[in-house]
Amino acid sequence: MAEIALQHLVKRFPNGFEAVKDLSLEIGEAELLVLVGPSGCGKTTALRMIAGLEDISSGDLYIGGRRMNDVPEKDRDIAMVFQNYALYPHMTVAQNIAFSLKLSKRPKKEIKERVAETAKLLGLEELLDRRPKQLSGGQRQRVAMGRAIIRAPQAFLMDEPLSNLDAQLRVHMRGEIEALQKRLGVTTVYVTHDQVEAMTMGDRVAVLRAGDLQQIGTPSEVYDRPVNLFVAGFMGSPPMNLARATVERVDGGHALRLGSATIPVPSELVAERKLDAWEGRGVVVGIRPEDLEGPREDGSTPASPVRLQVTVDRVEAVGAHLLGFFTVDAPPATSDAVAEATGGGLDEVALITREGTPFCATFEPRMAIRPGDEVEVDVDVRHLHFFDPETEAAISG
Amino acid sequence: MKGIRRWGPGLLLVLPSIVLIAVFVYGLIGWNTKVSLSDWRQAQQTTGFSTAAYSELFPPGTDPGWTEAVKHLVFFTGAFMIGTLALGAFLALLLDKGVKGEGFFRAIYLFPMAVSFIAAGVVWRWLMNPAPGDRGTGLNLLFDKLGLGFLANEWYLNPTWGAAALAIPAIWALTGYIMALYLAGFRGVPEELREAARMDGASEWRVYRHVVFPHLTPVTLSALIILGHISIKVFDLVVAIGGKQFITMTPAVYMWTLIFDARDYAKGAAIATILLIGISFLVIPYMIYTVRAERQT
Amino acid sequence: MTTTSAAPPVPVPARVGRPRARRAAALSFKYLALIFFVVLVLMPLYIVLVASFKGTAEADPSTAWALPNVWTWEAWSDAWSQLRPNLLNSLYLVIPATLISTVLGSLNGFVLSRWRFPGSDVVFLFLLFGLFIPYQAVMIPLTQLFADVDFPTGIPRLAFAHIVYGIPITTLIFRSYYATIPEELIEAARMDRAGMLRTYWSVVLPLSAPAFVVTAIWQFTSIWNDFLFAVFLITNPDSWPITVALNNTTGSIVTPYNLQMSAALLASIPTLVVYILLGRYFIRGLMAGSLKG
Repeated sequence: MAEIALQHLVKRFPNGFEAVKDLSLEIGEAELLVLVGPSGCGKTTALRMIAGLEDISSGDLYIGGRRMNDVPEKDRDIAMVFQNYALYPHMTVAQNIAFSLKLSKRPKKEIKERVAETAKLLGLEELLDRRPKQLSGGQRQRVAMGRAIIRAPQAFLMDEPLSNLDAQLRVHMRGEIEALQKRLGVTTVYVTHDQVEAMTMGDRVAVLRAGDLQQIGTPSEVYDRPVNLFVAGFMGSPPMNLARATVERVDGGHALRLGSATIPVPSELVAERKLDAWEGRGVVVGIRPEDLEGPREDGSTPASPVRLQVTVDRVEAVGAHLLGFFTVDAPPATSDAVAEATGGGLDEVALITREGTPFCATFEPRMAIRPGDEVEVDVDVRHLHFFDPETEAAISG
Repeated sequence: MKGIRRWGPGLLLVLPSIVLIAVFVYGLIGWNTKVSLSDWRQAQQTTGFSTAAYSELFPPGTDPGWTEAVKHLVFFTGAFMIGTLALGAFLALLLDKGVKGEGFFRAIYLFPMAVSFIAAGVVWRWLMNPAPGDRGTGLNLLFDKLGLGFLANEWYLNPTWGAAALAIPAIWALTGYIMALYLAGFRGVPEELREAARMDGASEWRVYRHVVFPHLTPVTLSALIILGHISIKVFDLVVAIGGKQFITMTPAVYMWTLIFDARDYAKGAAIATILLIGISFLVIPYMIYTVRAERQT
Repeated sequence: MTTTSAAPPVPVPARVGRPRARRAAALSFKYLALIFFVVLVLMPLYIVLVASFKGTAEADPSTAWALPNVWTWEAWSDAWSQLRPNLLNSLYLVIPATLISTVLGSLNGFVLSRWRFPGSDVVFLFLLFGLFIPYQAVMIPLTQLFADVDFPTGIPRLAFAHIVYGIPITTLIFRSYYATIPEELIEAARMDRAGMLRTYWSVVLPLSAPAFVVTAIWQFTSIWNDFLFAVFLITNPDSWPITVALNNTTGSIVTPYNLQMSAALLASIPTLVVYILLGRYFIRGLMAGSLKG
């Protein structure tokens, strides 16, 4: 088990493209760090630099205190689980798992024992004599993990190991991998583009965009205190609602003018975020769908009842709750960051054009809400986020 | 440096081949060029410098054997390439949709690839025997028997079209291979593209013309290059059919006679160099194009 | 008593039947064309077979198309006795040359596609060019070189030449084939601490069977059927491989017609057998693009 330190790592490809620009991170012993970000953000390149499959253009890599830049991959004592599993097609499951041990010239007896042990850990005992093509996706994934585990390396590197599995299996395997990692206590770097996976699995999450580290922290830190618009828009599904608003001074404090609505901001929040400095100026305000609550079935009301009157445009039933979409007559927070974070480009050409910004609120699953209905949505003002429209950084005081 | 420790062994493994090719291809080509620029015109080797060999070949008409040989090559190449491409593509088209017994048909069309040009040459020499009518053997005889006597002709002994007749056994030998290339090309077109076109109302022929054929440019290019370079080098076949006769002479055969019979080494080497230059024009751009295209994928 | 009269049959409109009829016609045309070409392709084989089984009396080119009245092995046994030493020469040539050039191709193809070094592509082009050169361009210097270094004469020279000049095509086939092995598999082997040779032996080689078959068949056929190299490099008729001997036999006016045909067939039998037994693997390899050139 070892710590991994990346110091100002840069990866520049021969054609000039910089996939990773000055990345510095530290991963603690036995920690599971998730590298997350959209395609092309450099997370896989960073992983491969740690593995030794890509040369480091500049910067330093330390594993267990040793500088690893010039150490070939086979001497780094790291195991990797590949996205497409990369199982040797002509070898049985047992042979696949045992391969690295065979190369290390371990005695046959030891190999057999360790293979059996690993197989038991992953529930592969019945499959030891099968070939990869006879296995299902989930089984292959477990064999790929077995191959990594058996080496008892200093660290595991996982490159989107679940992205080729069906949704249900993915959810199940997430838990399995996390439990396994905790049990084995091996330092793990896990790459994924799925922010839900990142949130559920990581001890800490590192959000990357175009080769730059945006934010690193625990899942709740990254979720509740995003440092910029990109992280705010990227983490969370459905994504955070974002729009332009102005900070106004009103009797008794400050309020947010969001289109035609005025939302009072609690004075604690103003003090905490130093919002008074933004008086009269435009900001980008963000509020997560779960902090916009529709009317409750039992008629009760939330703690701080700031209400918006809205007309529902459309409804999505996602089982656990309903998502209601409506339009806020404030300008959208158009920016590349937001576009990339929330799935890119769709904001530019809406299928049905409307004036204003689409917002999403959560409703209880059995409410009978239909497009066209006029409803009241409660805004939980304690969970408002504010961003500087120029720098896109969070306004945090 | 970590890099060389990783790829060093690879380079070492390939090194023997690099050395062998450097010597036996590039080195010998250089040597051959040297010979072509020498005055070694008879059995005793001499090493003076002379461009006589080339000047005897170049102005058309100075060396009638050479001029005839080149003319024959042009006719041969034209007939060979057109015939093989057309027939190969046509057969691939017939088989593309999958017919019963496709494996059988493919195997039959490809079997000529297993036969040497010498053996094939022997048989086709008889088939294309110029003796007419009922004194004929081979095809002339068959035409006569089938009442198609008017089709009988001199085949490879025809002064104008003889070289094109020589292309017939070559077409026979290579059509199967070109068919396989095109068949693979046809089948490389994703079925979805064809289906989308059909849904858009295209007839089968239109589907071929607008969806499938555009995909085939790389295949046709490969085929042209392969056929082209085989054609320039053609030797076995011509020797088997026409021996050293003047009327079926091609550059490669001419070179052979110059060396073994006339012992005119410089001229033989000059012809070889000319053939090489001709092929290079064809092949070098193609090779670069392939590797570059490969890098982009 | 009423009789039910059958209603007059409703005429089926002609249009409904036409597309189906057209399709059936197209299909028959297709089969007809395919069979026609089968006949064309097999025609020379027919001539050869028929002639080879005719006795000297019957063996006249003027009856080339007729089946033998008397079927006899005469021509075959004559061809065999004349050409047997040459057949053996070819065998001694082809087997080692095919094996060695195939293995070389595999190693080269592996390095150039999956264990690359700076300049791999340049080296590949460097080797590939050797495929396209007219071999006439190196024949004179080659014979001289062999003479200068006193290389063992006869089949060894020919075998050596085929091995060297086989490098480009065998490398090409294997390189194209190995390009289809996912990069991840090699990376996994490297992470499992395998070096280059170990990766080749344990991971790549076991997956190479199709390429080995295509390359071996191609080399066997090319080397067996080669004439140019043989006629330049082997001057002693006792050492001639079958192609040169065949040309010599059939080129002579003295040789009877049936013997020429049986000789041609005899010379082709090994490659035809290889084709019949292993042809489907070869075709499969072709269709998968092994020889896209």
